[in-house]
Amino acid sequence: MDYNLIKKLVKIVEQSEITDFSVQEGDLKIKISKNGKNNIVNTVVSQPFNEQFNYSQPAQANPISIENKAIIPTDDSSKYHEVLSPIVGTFYRAPSPDSNPYVQVGDSVSEGTVLCIIEAMKLMNEIECDESGKIIKILVENATAVEYNQPLFLIEKN
Amino acid sequence: MSKSTFTIEEMDIKLKTNYIGTNFIFYDEIGSTNDELLNDKSITQHGTVLFADNQFKGRGRLSREWLSYKDNSITFSILLTENLNAKNLNLINFAAALSVAESIENLFQLDVRLKWPNDVLIATRKVCGILVESVSKGDKIERVVVGIGVNVNQPMFEGHYNVPPTSIRKEFGRVVSRERLLAEILNEFESNIKKANKNPSVILDNWRSKCKMIGEKVKVNDGKEEFFGIFEDIDENGFLLLQDNKGMRKIFSGDVSLK
Repeated sequence: MDYNLIKKLVKIVEQSEITDFSVQEGDLKIKISKNGKNNIVNTVVSQPFNEQFNYSQPAQANPISIENKAIIPTDDSSKYHEVLSPIVGTFYRAPSPDSNPYVQVGDSVSEGTVLCIIEAMKLMNEIECDESGKIIKILVENATAVEYNQPLFLIEKN
Repeated sequence: MSKSTFTIEEMDIKLKTNYIGTNFIFYDEIGSTNDELLNDKSITQHGTVLFADNQFKGRGRLSREWLSYKDNSITFSILLTENLNAKNLNLINFAAALSVAESIENLFQLDVRLKWPNDVLIATRKVCGILVESVSKGDKIERVVVGIGVNVNQPMFEGHYNVPPTSIRKEFGRVVSRERLLAEILNEFESNIKKANKNPSVILDNWRSKCKMIGEKVKVNDGKEEFFGIFEDIDENGFLLLQDNKGMRKIFSGDVSLK
């Protein structure tokens, strides 16, 4: 499953008036619903091919959040660790626009290594790693908005 | 280096707090008060205040420079280690700006206004900058440092600034006591933090009442894009709600100016 594709779709839905969206390709069906009560992105696998778009009522102001656990295959969850965002804000990979990123994919990190900054209302929140291992994926693009509890980094545990 | 003219005893007499500033660390000179409190993990007491008479590497948002002038300004940082959660973190920002604004009003009766998210202005001129920084281990917020710099007794400012600066002395017409102002800000801050934890809507309402940009046409630069619209309101988290031709947009961070 291409996580980036799902992430892009979530973003599109989040920024639009669409509340329910589903797309299907081969065995993969992705259904995204922006429901004020649940705020959950559902992914359902294994349906016959049939591309469909559902437009319904205007979106509510509630932000979307991603159901984190669906992203990592359950049999691998002990091997990987996701670093989650503690706040809603803007994700920065470097301390200032001219500096190098704190970390890159492939870097070894340990507990306390600074990974990124999340800014909300001029509040700069430095996120330290809470697990030792290797960064295998950076799940968010620099200078984009992140939600509370959104996965930021995928770490392969030592 | 000449000895500081700041008298801790004079500040202490006016301090009425229970925990803010009871651990008071004084430096004649330091790079950045925020850096010191963020990085020195041996300092853990909730409410610790670190004051520097001369800060030579002061920072603003995205590492912009903050100039402070020995004997003329107050630059200090407050460490918070308790009652920290994602919900009240933004309110700490508002609480800090409100505390400075209320202190200047209480002591000098000046026309103080707030600019989103946490600048303090006298009319349209910037008198105080605030930079809140925090450290989280994963999704757990561990330390919050509130850095505050107030222009107090500068007779004038040279150079070019994004927002024109001013000092209390320039606005009030005479030199004022830095000690008394600091004590007042710390007193107000403790009281506002209590409100932020117990009754957040009071902080939001008090902030709104001092923000003269609400309802106005503004330009917001979030570092990537510029948005134009009406500054409609702030939401319950303190984020800016901007009404533009595409609808209501929520702004998490950025520079706001009147259009």
